[in-house]
Amino acid sequence: MKQLRRYLFGLAGVAALLIAGCGSTTSTTTSSTAPKDITIGTLYAGSGSYATSSLPELAGLKFWMSQVNKDGGVFVKAYNKKIPVKLVDYNDQSDPNTAQTLYTQLITQDKVNILVSDFGSVLTSVAVPIAQEHKMVLFDPTGTGASFFTPTNPYIVLTGLPTSAVWPDNLAKYLLAQNFKKVAIVYAENDFDQSQDETLTTQLKAGGVTPVYNQGVPTTTSNYDVIIHNIAATNPDAVLELGYPNNDIAFLQNLAASGQHFGFLFTIFPGQLFSLLEQNVGAKTLTDTYTYPTPPLLAYNSGVNYGMTISQFTQAFQSANGSAPNFLDIAGYNTGLAIQKTLETAKSLSQLDLRAAAGKIHMFTLDGDFTINKEGAQMGETLPVGQIQASGSGLKTVIVFPSSVATGTAVH
Amino acid sequence: MLYALIAGVLFGLYYALIGLGLNLTFGVLRMVNLAHGDFVMIGGFAAVTAFSAWHLHPLWSLVLVAVLIFAVGIALYYVLVPRIAATKDPEMISLVLFFGLSQVIEALAVMRFGNNTQSIYEPVFGKAPVSILGQPFPAVWVVSGLVSLLALLLVYLYLYRTRIGYSTRAVMASREEAEVSGISVHKVSAIAFAIGLGLAAAAGALAPFMLGGITPDLGVGLTITAFAVIVLGSLGNPVGTVAGGLIYGIALMLMQTYLPSWSALLPYLLLLLVLLVKPSGLFGRQVRSA
Repeated sequence: MKQLRRYLFGLAGVAALLIAGCGSTTSTTTSSTAPKDITIGTLYAGSGSYATSSLPELAGLKFWMSQVNKDGGVFVKAYNKKIPVKLVDYNDQSDPNTAQTLYTQLITQDKVNILVSDFGSVLTSVAVPIAQEHKMVLFDPTGTGASFFTPTNPYIVLTGLPTSAVWPDNLAKYLLAQNFKKVAIVYAENDFDQSQDETLTTQLKAGGVTPVYNQGVPTTTSNYDVIIHNIAATNPDAVLELGYPNNDIAFLQNLAASGQHFGFLFTIFPGQLFSLLEQNVGAKTLTDTYTYPTPPLLAYNSGVNYGMTISQFTQAFQSANGSAPNFLDIAGYNTGLAIQKTLETAKSLSQLDLRAAAGKIHMFTLDGDFTINKEGAQMGETLPVGQIQASGSGLKTVIVFPSSVATGTAVH
Repeated sequence: MLYALIAGVLFGLYYALIGLGLNLTFGVLRMVNLAHGDFVMIGGFAAVTAFSAWHLHPLWSLVLVAVLIFAVGIALYYVLVPRIAATKDPEMISLVLFFGLSQVIEALAVMRFGNNTQSIYEPVFGKAPVSILGQPFPAVWVVSGLVSLLALLLVYLYLYRTRIGYSTRAVMASREEAEVSGISVHKVSAIAFAIGLGLAAAAGALAPFMLGGITPDLGVGLTITAFAVIVLGSLGNPVGTVAGGLIYGIALMLMQTYLPSWSALLPYLLLLLVLLVKPSGLFGRQVRSA
């Protein structure tokens, strides 16, 4: 009898444990109920050298949020329902050290569902290891440094642009097709520009052209006069200046003041921040120079199968924000679209499921073809070569290469 | 090589102009104005705004903004400096206070002008380059060099040919002795402080051409470079600033020619070199002893 009582007590204990286990199962079920909102954490540069590019990128992301929230939120497949999106954003003041702390705060304190990096490679470079360490997918709009994308890091998705190492593909082909033998390159020393320089020199050398001038300068360089003089001394057929917007402005200003003229001149940011460059260096200096045209200069209206077309976006953005969008507004919006598509297809909100879903996305947006490779690098949105040409009293950008997307021919 | 040397002289004169005001302030007040570069930035935005709004030539803006900021400097001195001087550790307090002032000015500039780079692209100083020893230089560089030389000459005449200048040098040598001998130290210091800020703003009017545009965050970097220039020439010795500026300018241009990747390190390398080899600076007789 005593034994039976002990046995019964034992059973009761097991039952109690099972009930407790059920309780814990219940709590798991509770935790997997749909959250009140999907939190997106990001940083922006409210001041400093990257503010010019970072603030429009944030504006584009906010515009996407306002659009989906107006519609009841973003559809989340894991819960089979629409959930509103909430933004948690902090100002890193263009300082990578501050950004480092704030990225960690977004993950560990705010516990955001989705992490989005700030503009460009410099402010993204600090986010990459933090996201990887915390096993959090980093949605990266414009940090295109080739070194971010490695087989050992499954926690990154580049949404707005191809990796910078891919950018100059068409440019290198165009330079070789033009039979330029003397090419001069000056690049700012950061992941973004350095990786472009490496691609360019490799491809040019493969085509039998060794640059006559190939020098890196600090990204903070604000005076290129002596450098321009040194480049001119090599008598180049083509000059490529690879930098951030402030580098391009300083270079083009110094070139105009120096009285030098290069037959083929390429800079990056007129294709992304056309108004800013025009305001600072003038239409005359930009005329006949070359750049990478990006949306809205590159107008994707047909074939878009996800989100707005470029015309629809331009109109809606302008009426919401009072100003015409530039490329970085589009990059911010496109990042929103990538997040939206990921949530629509991911089977759960776990970070690896999100990453797996992002890897399967095939869509054509206002920013072009969205396809990422195994390392998370964007491969679809290739950049053509464009030339800024005089048009009546203003300027227009003509795509001159490759011929499959060309809208005109180059003027020399 | 010749081009880099001449460019270095012209650019160095411009940096001497930026550093001159900072050194004058330090020489008289024994305080480093960490907001000095922000007054250069204010001068730059003033020139850009005056040009875009009224098409005012930047040289007129330079004169106007120098006078205006001089007046602001007098007021700022009497609001800030006597209070700092009355504290237990005025040097440390001044560092913190001027750093705070720098942050406030930068934030206000962001609110007023936004974050985008602003500049003047029209060839207001002439379209054709100017030839020096057969080398073509942007006209604005030559104008900037001449303006800097003129400003340096005026400061020299002020210090060595005027009564108030004698008093200023007396205060630079010893505040206590100057006070005992009946010199109005506050009046002399206020004028020197205001001249320092006026010179910074004057340099700022040329910054859109010399520094590739103006942004609100320009100040901190400029203060660091100006500090390197004046340490090179000798802290507290305005004449040494010219030598400091020239060495910095020539070294920068030679670096850009032969080792461009290293050019951003130059101010810090020069600072280290001076501190290791001749801590009192090249013209270091009047270096502070504290």
